[in-house]
Amino acid sequence: MLALLGSAGVVAAIIGSVLLVIRGIRSARGGTADLVTPSKLILAGAVIAMAAMQIALLTDDFSLAYLANQHSTTTPFPFDVATAWAALEGSIVLWGLILAVFIWAVAARHRKAPDQLEAAALAVMGGVAVFFFGLMITVANPFEVCVDALATGCAGSSPWPFATVDVPADGPGPNPLLQNHYMMAIHPPILYIGYVGLTVPFAYAIGALALAVPGPEWLRRSHRSTLVAWSFLALGIVLGGWWAYEVLSWGGYWAWDPVENASLMPWLVATAFLHSGLVQQRRGMLQAWNFILVISAFSLTILGTFLTRSGTINSVHSFTQSAIGPALLGFLVLVLVGSFTLFSMRSHLVATSPRLESFVSREGGFLVNNLLLAVFAFIVLIGTTYPLLLEAFSGTRVGVGEPFFNRLAVPLSFLLLLTMGFGPVTPWRGAAPGLLWRRLRAPTLIALSLGIVTVLGVTRLGWVVLAVVLGTFVAGAIVGLLVEQTRIRAEKTGRPLLAEARTVIGNDKSFWAGQLSHLGVALVAVGMAFAANLPLNAQVVLAPGDSVDFAGYGLVYDAPFRRSEPNRVVQGARIDVYQGDRRITTLEPRLNLYGSNPSPIVTPAVMRRAGGDLYLTLRRTDSETIELDLDTSPMVWLIWLGGLTAAAGGFWSLAARKADRAVTQEVVTTDV
Amino acid sequence: MSERVRTVTTVAVMVVMASALALLISTQPVNVDRAEAIGSRIKCPVCQGESIANSPSQLAEDMMDLVAERVASGAGDQQIIDELLASYTGALLLDPPASGSTLVLWLAPLAAVGVGVGIILWWRRHPGPMPATEAPSAPRSRTRLLLGGLILAASFAGIVVVASTSLQDRPAPASGVADIGQQDLADVSNETMEAVVAANLDNPQINGMRLALAERYYEEGDYRSAFPHYLAVAESAEATDVEAASALTRLGWMAYEGNGEVETAIRLLDQALAIEPGSSVALYLKGRVQWCGAGDPESATSLFEQVLENPSLPEESRSEIEADLDRASSGAACT
Repeated sequence: MLALLGSAGVVAAIIGSVLLVIRGIRSARGGTADLVTPSKLILAGAVIAMAAMQIALLTDDFSLAYLANQHSTTTPFPFDVATAWAALEGSIVLWGLILAVFIWAVAARHRKAPDQLEAAALAVMGGVAVFFFGLMITVANPFEVCVDALATGCAGSSPWPFATVDVPADGPGPNPLLQNHYMMAIHPPILYIGYVGLTVPFAYAIGALALAVPGPEWLRRSHRSTLVAWSFLALGIVLGGWWAYEVLSWGGYWAWDPVENASLMPWLVATAFLHSGLVQQRRGMLQAWNFILVISAFSLTILGTFLTRSGTINSVHSFTQSAIGPALLGFLVLVLVGSFTLFSMRSHLVATSPRLESFVSREGGFLVNNLLLAVFAFIVLIGTTYPLLLEAFSGTRVGVGEPFFNRLAVPLSFLLLLTMGFGPVTPWRGAAPGLLWRRLRAPTLIALSLGIVTVLGVTRLGWVVLAVVLGTFVAGAIVGLLVEQTRIRAEKTGRPLLAEARTVIGNDKSFWAGQLSHLGVALVAVGMAFAANLPLNAQVVLAPGDSVDFAGYGLVYDAPFRRSEPNRVVQGARIDVYQGDRRITTLEPRLNLYGSNPSPIVTPAVMRRAGGDLYLTLRRTDSETIELDLDTSPMVWLIWLGGLTAAAGGFWSLAARKADRAVTQEVVTTDV
Repeated sequence: MSERVRTVTTVAVMVVMASALALLISTQPVNVDRAEAIGSRIKCPVCQGESIANSPSQLAEDMMDLVAERVASGAGDQQIIDELLASYTGALLLDPPASGSTLVLWLAPLAAVGVGVGIILWWRRHPGPMPATEAPSAPRSRTRLLLGGLILAASFAGIVVVASTSLQDRPAPASGVADIGQQDLADVSNETMEAVVAANLDNPQINGMRLALAERYYEEGDYRSAFPHYLAVAESAEATDVEAASALTRLGWMAYEGNGEVETAIRLLDQALAIEPGSSVALYLKGRVQWCGAGDPESATSLFEQVLENPSLPEESRSEIEADLDRASSGAACT
């Protein structure tokens, strides 16, 4: 029943998508066509599909093969809901639903002000939707019914909803790692909003190229969606790192794993695009570059999905195990070839742009920033794909990991920080002599002073000091600019400074929202430098009653414990943490055993402190003793705070845009 | 104070502060955890992209212990890395060298910077949208079209070649062996491995899994379960020399340890040595069998001496074998 309902939803969404493509093209050619109805049909279909999946999960309907293999009656809330995106087939349903919402949002706006560009963009989005909903009825069908039940799980399935169903009594449940922390329930949807959101600027870009209107109109129309995508990607990346830190028990948050890189690459390119889009809107430059960036950003989301979902990362050879790999790769090739062919056909229209008057200008800074971000993304891309390509071509296996990425990305990140200090204080077109000096001398002095304080009081490690100096420089430049502008206004109006500061920010909210994101990135840099360079660690073997001194704390192993929960057995050790004679907390590092899976999920216990987290990992237990890893992660919270701040800047900018839209329109027209 | 004097003073203060910082940082006593640094450059053989310094798996911990030991014994970084890569199949350097097949990795980012800077400078002098693909002598749009087409064709061809090589040359192995073979075997239960082995009897890639499973039984002392798997690997035409030799070595030792069959043991160990001459394990075990089983300390002595010639022998094994050698050469009974 639910299989039928879900499949019906998917089919409805496909029909809607095909209709949207046909009508979108007709409307883009100057005809009139209703685009809202097909978009509603897609949304309705996607909602029905997701609802069918959720009802199945909440009612333990194991007649669906997806549930039989990914769900278990013991999976607790909210992980049963999240099981909908715990594996490939389900995650594509989520992808489709988010895409449907974006399509609907664009189409609903279309009704108010119909125009050809938007119709063309909708046609492109319809095409993307055809592909993703198409996956759901072909190679990644989440609504196949189980026809060959095992004791737990399903050995054979059929896409035909009316096939004779063989229902297993229970399933093995989702991957233990995914039901070990609540963050896994929200991290994928957030990241997916980011990935899917990039479809909108891509669709507008292709629409603009197809209609031969390469002006800034497409950028303006898709700017909000780009901001949504960028902010959610940032949030998703931070939450992913946080999750890794809380769950993966090695005390780190970023390992340059291909799955992580798959989210970083589109974010880097989207960051470059947000900046270069601004240059085109303000100065009419970088038209061609913006097309390249947005096509790359969208392609990277597909590439990332291909890398993470086709099994290619595990082994080049597992590429053919599922048809999803060739399908995604084929779509990627289609997108790249189609987009760039269209782009080269229209390149003569990409108008001659005005001359760059000076490198010492806002647009000059954006150029440098775009170069650095593009190179950064390229490094991540080549480091992630090169081992796969080399193995596919020559069979040679090489490893490309953390040392490679760190060696290139760390210096590049410091250059980006430096640019981030200069850029915002540099005016468009060119800076008057002495202006930069006046604006940057105080931040420089403060940054160097803080560097000296760090060296004398904390550490003499170069990377940490450099991060503190550059982070302070960025923050100082931003605050300095705010102070300067507030003063100028206050001198004119005579009103109090605080009120004027609010006016200054209120007059250009999106700029200051961007600066908030910059502050966040600076915080992340400082946090990373501390956490990576100044951790302490030790390994101890303790018997009950034993104590050990570590990082200024006294740790006493109280006793082991073991408890059964519906979906797992938790085996752990109670460790009392003392500071001096006072017991400040009890930590419970654990080994969680899920179902029949014989290997435990090692779950660390973390005590959060401003100076540095205390991070305990239980390595082994036997009847007498435990083996415990002790780590500190100095200032690691700065990374979470900074990441959330960066994302918050994006969301604020989004809110600001909505409020300022009328104003923005004016500014843009007068500027051109 | 005039503006100029103030500026000069500020610059001077900045220079002094920056030099003080640079000085303090550069005189920082270097205190690097060498074992950690080396470990973070080696990929754990049984994990997904994790270094042995980060991986919680048993094998990675063993390898880290070995690294710490070698660091303590004063070996150089490169020497330790070479030893690890040689003695653990599947261990890879995560820090690709700027030479050979990974030179591209280091050159490409440099090239990207170069191209980027080049385009920006070119564009600065010739404001126009697509400097890279513009040839002044030819009609603009056609040249661009051609170049764009060429780039596309090249990228398309690249992808197609990659896709087809992985499709053609490597037939999909039956029921997920490649998959499991790439996973962290430490997390796979004996039952699962048995099931996979049983389902893939005809698959040439199964020998590695068999051997790992047999090794596990062997270490648990369950010779009965280990035996059929070692035998299958030893008899498999698809097994690599290393796999066959280690299976034969184990079979030989089990024949002696488990059943006291000295002759069979020596025959099997000789077969192993014929396939992989100089195998330290086979030589040592043959020495033990000669000494303890056949009561022939002289043959044992010469075998132990051969083992000790291996320069990359782990320290702890070396001292153990040296002790055996001492006693065997003095004609003492085996212990």
